[in-house]
Amino acid sequence: MAVPAVAPRRLEGLDRALPVWVAAALALVFLMGLPLGWLAWMSVSGESGFTLRHYEKVVADPALRKALWNTVVMAFWVGLASLAVGAPLAWLTARTDVPGRGLIRALVLASFVTPPFLGAFAWVMLAGPNAGLLNRLWRSATGAEAPLLNIFSMPGLIFVVTIYTFPYVYIMVANTLALIASDLEEAGAILGAGRLWVALTITLPMVLPALASGFILALLQALALFGSPAILALPAGFHTVTTQIWSLFQFPPKVEMAAAFSLPLFLATALLLAAQKRLLGRRGYAAVGGKGGARRVISLGRWRLPALAACLAVMACAIFLPYGILAKAAFSRAWAQPLTWSNLTLKNFTFTFFEYSATQAAIVNTLELGVLTATVGAGLVALLAYVTSRRLVIGHQVIAFLALAPVVIPGVVLAVALFIAYTRPPFLLYGTLWILFIAYLTKEMPVGYAQADATFRGIPTELEDAGRILGAGRFRVLRDVTAPLARSGIIAAWCFVFIGVIRELSASIILFTPSTKVMSVVLFDLKEEGQFGAIAVLGLVMLALTFATVALVQAVLGRDVLGARD
Amino acid sequence: MPGVSLRALTKRYGDTAAVERLSLDVRPGELVALLGPSGCGKTTTLRLVAGFLQPEAGEIWVGDRRLSAPGAVTPPERRRMAMIFQSYALWPHMTVAQNVGYGLRFQRALARAERAKRVAEMLRVVQLAGYEGRYPGELSGGQQQRVAVARALVVEPEILLLDEPLSNLDANLREEMRVEIRRLHEAFGITTLYVTHDQAEAMVISDRIAVIQGGRVAQVGTADELFDTPRSRFVAEFIGKTNLVDAVAVAPDTVERGGLRLRVAAAGLAPGARVTLSIRPHLIAPVAVTETGSNVLGGTVRRASFLGDAMDYEVEIAASDVVLRVTAPPAPRLRAGEAVRVRIEPGACLPLVDPGEGT
Repeated sequence: MAVPAVAPRRLEGLDRALPVWVAAALALVFLMGLPLGWLAWMSVSGESGFTLRHYEKVVADPALRKALWNTVVMAFWVGLASLAVGAPLAWLTARTDVPGRGLIRALVLASFVTPPFLGAFAWVMLAGPNAGLLNRLWRSATGAEAPLLNIFSMPGLIFVVTIYTFPYVYIMVANTLALIASDLEEAGAILGAGRLWVALTITLPMVLPALASGFILALLQALALFGSPAILALPAGFHTVTTQIWSLFQFPPKVEMAAAFSLPLFLATALLLAAQKRLLGRRGYAAVGGKGGARRVISLGRWRLPALAACLAVMACAIFLPYGILAKAAFSRAWAQPLTWSNLTLKNFTFTFFEYSATQAAIVNTLELGVLTATVGAGLVALLAYVTSRRLVIGHQVIAFLALAPVVIPGVVLAVALFIAYTRPPFLLYGTLWILFIAYLTKEMPVGYAQADATFRGIPTELEDAGRILGAGRFRVLRDVTAPLARSGIIAAWCFVFIGVIRELSASIILFTPSTKVMSVVLFDLKEEGQFGAIAVLGLVMLALTFATVALVQAVLGRDVLGARD
Repeated sequence: MPGVSLRALTKRYGDTAAVERLSLDVRPGELVALLGPSGCGKTTTLRLVAGFLQPEAGEIWVGDRRLSAPGAVTPPERRRMAMIFQSYALWPHMTVAQNVGYGLRFQRALARAERAKRVAEMLRVVQLAGYEGRYPGELSGGQQQRVAVARALVVEPEILLLDEPLSNLDANLREEMRVEIRRLHEAFGITTLYVTHDQAEAMVISDRIAVIQGGRVAQVGTADELFDTPRSRFVAEFIGKTNLVDAVAVAPDTVERGGLRLRVAAAGLAPGARVTLSIRPHLIAPVAVTETGSNVLGGTVRRASFLGDAMDYEVEIAASDVVLRVTAPPAPRLRAGEAVRVRIEPGACLPLVDPGEGT
């Protein structure tokens, strides 16, 4: 019946559990409110109280303006390029008979979980102007002097960011296409429309919201990214907003300026996400919806193999070449030299793990933080999602909003906010692992919450009601019914958080201290020292950890990770 | 065995009242169906009785225990009730035996062996012996339904609540389960509230039916009473087919509308009063065209439909704007366009006590 189904199902006569729910909600407010409050305050406070001086300086400084413009250019082109790559790939794998669809999907997934900065390192080895492998092959093949490719450039940066960002577009489009029944398109064809005309007038408008929202997601990724610009733009002599904020933290730190400069990034992110939400809400899925209707596979005919080749070319850029060069570098004495017996070595491994002083501690720190954050995070999001999906407290909408809110905070901005909040009493956490823990917990909260929320929404409340009426109290039902059914979904949430933590760079790079380095920070240090062999080794460790966790998620959920996002 | 008493219950969602001053008494051991269209508040009423919802006003009593009142709601687990859900709500991670035995875990006095015995016994009653170790996902819809029934009955509840338990079954199985549920009710005699939107189901299963409209009880009675003497338009139309005729009283036992004049089953009508009649199609009889007298009307057959065991006619009554549905034997057959005369006994012309808004 319609009325009770849509109406609030808040369980009245709240029981002993109330303090637990309230504590969880307060923790959330504290986690989010304190740093952001400090960030806003710091950006407008001077020696004599309120001032707009920092903002004036930000606007007046040509270097900062340039960084802002660079970011806009980079993000825009990354968005467009992600559309150009992600949308056709999604259509090919979702609707056509291109061979190896499962493989392509798996490779897109691999690109999705690859830490972008590892890809950037790999592309430095592939397309650095002097020693880059592709450039040396080019020179020896043509005898030319000038390099073919220069990855240290704006186009190079856009390229490297795109190959790890297009999966966002792919996911949005592929999941939408999977919802559009072929009969909608066939209805058009019956009326006399040609195949291209059907694609343009029926399919395209229906996936338009997905395209637009994928574009925005790609834009957001590019805006918030720190690693790739730091690796590729800085040597090329230009800044983006994130690297600029980071450099404001280098000695002597200009925290107020960083705070003031963080705000445009924060606002841009918030606005873009609001736009994306509107796009998805207005049209699209409700109209598209429904599981009914078979999906007809479109035959590509003689274009099958060229289409496959195009897909594999993209994957060569995102996966094969980068992973290949990382593997080669890990096992070579000199990564730029050909792979011969005399060049083969395990020296890089012994160096990385035993000789380089920071590695062991960093791996331990990363794993500790990963397990701790994932465990606390999964527990917290489970609690929050349970409270919100069952509407247990007044203001549950606010909790849901807060849990998802960190999405709009780029890692660098979050780090600035946390730095300000926790370098002063009463919470002196800077210099400890706890500040990283809080940063990771906040940053990964939305992903974990979305997963947990979907999990609880998938468990009908009637299953709990059935237990209550037979004599079980709320906690007993939680233990006997809800928890066993939610288990795999919450394990998946744990994995999502864990994957997010072990690859985190943009917040760590600002919050770390010499005793609290994590793997991504050590990778960054190694770059400064030009230790590409060690970078490759550590990178492979990170990839192995990531893929092991992804495999765990897939085993637990029985489906791949791409379907679970967004 | 206590009964249930709902006293002026009100439940609001925002500004709209899902249930409004609803009162109903269910006698001990009785099975009462809450019947109404979707959105009428019947499921909300059931959830109020179960204690999942708190009323804004009114009280719920079971025997001499007051279970619900605004701000004082006994939680579901302490109501000694059982419920069968539309979705069955079987726990997919528990076996059939674990599902059925769950409620017994909370009856401390029962020894473990005794519980197992009761579960086995109940599974035998619902003809699921041998399925103890299966998971709900491995059962057919009808079997899942019987597990849900067993799970509810095994705890020997004081009150049994059923929320459209048959709506997910196919037509054949549904008829079978109606009879089965009625049989179990007669065997166990548990006071039962049964929510459904299917009048045939309500008529087969229940002792009495409460027709719910707009969050209130429109009428309570046995199936016969509701069918023979509906009080309102809504009830007359919801229980079986009927013709509703708005007319004006011209004598204490006679009404008129245009050229249509009928003696009715009443003797105290105030002349000039507006009266709505309910006339069941099967109580209107085609008669010979030569027939005259009171309550015999002339007209034309507008439409004739053959239904196999009966004919369904639409007859336009002469000198009026009234069109009556008539159910008659297949022979003699009337054709569309043919002139016809019909007789309606005064006893078949029922003035509605509380017609509600009409045309």
